[in-house]
Amino acid sequence: MNVGKIIGVAVLGFFFLLFVAIDLVLFGVIQLNSAVVTVLPLLGLVGGGALGAMAGKKGQPAG
Amino acid sequence: MKGIRWVFGGLLLGAVVVGSSGPAAAQLDGSCHASGTWQNAGLTVDAAQVGDKAVTVPRSDTVHWEGSVAGPPGEHSGSIWIELPPPFGTVEIDSWGGNGVTTSNDGFEEYDLPSLVPAGVVFTVSGEHTDANGTCTGHVNFKIDGSAVSSPLTWVSLAGTAGTGAGMFFVLRPLFRRVG
Repeated sequence: MNVGKIIGVAVLGFFFLLFVAIDLVLFGVIQLNSAVVTVLPLLGLVGGGALGAMAGKKGQPAG
Repeated sequence: MKGIRWVFGGLLLGAVVVGSSGPAAAQLDGSCHASGTWQNAGLTVDAAQVGDKAVTVPRSDTVHWEGSVAGPPGEHSGSIWIELPPPFGTVEIDSWGGNGVTTSNDGFEEYDLPSLVPAGVVFTVSGEHTDANGTCTGHVNFKIDGSAVSSPLTWVSLAGTAGTGAGMFFVLRPLFRRVG
């Protein structure tokens, strides 16, 4: 298991969904004080870590 | 931001040092009244009547704000704040306190928000005033008139979304590769 890749994708996922949340606020889709602004980056952190682990496994050479 | 502080301060519970008034409604809980009239836009907002809809206000204007409570307030205090996403809490815009018998207050305040402040963002300004008559709380949702893309912050955020999205795609490419 590539721990570095998992952490890297988790951090990237955090920032990706953080920017998405900020976009949603800036375009008036959700309110500034919405819990979605908090939940999305955390979802990105956890989801990014999980996807990073899956991508790491799939990227390993067979055998 | 000093201007906006007075605008929303007056609008919500004003420098509510006081006054008397009407029935509590959805946005104002307690015997108090708060309203504001945007002089150039010709817009009047009564905190008790506005409901949950976001009030679109101009980027610059002069506001005539008014606030009042049901009877002589005696020892009183209050504040207004902007609600931030959890867990960031709130940002206090203004607070007041003292001892008096005046039941209403009003004033004019001119404001001019810089272009960096994005238009279209729906934000909640809440307030609370406590005195001898009880406690009055309320909130009003606002957004600044104009296009979201008029602020450089919007472009920074969109660039961030594109950059990190592209990064995610490249890092996760192995997941989208066909096996065999």
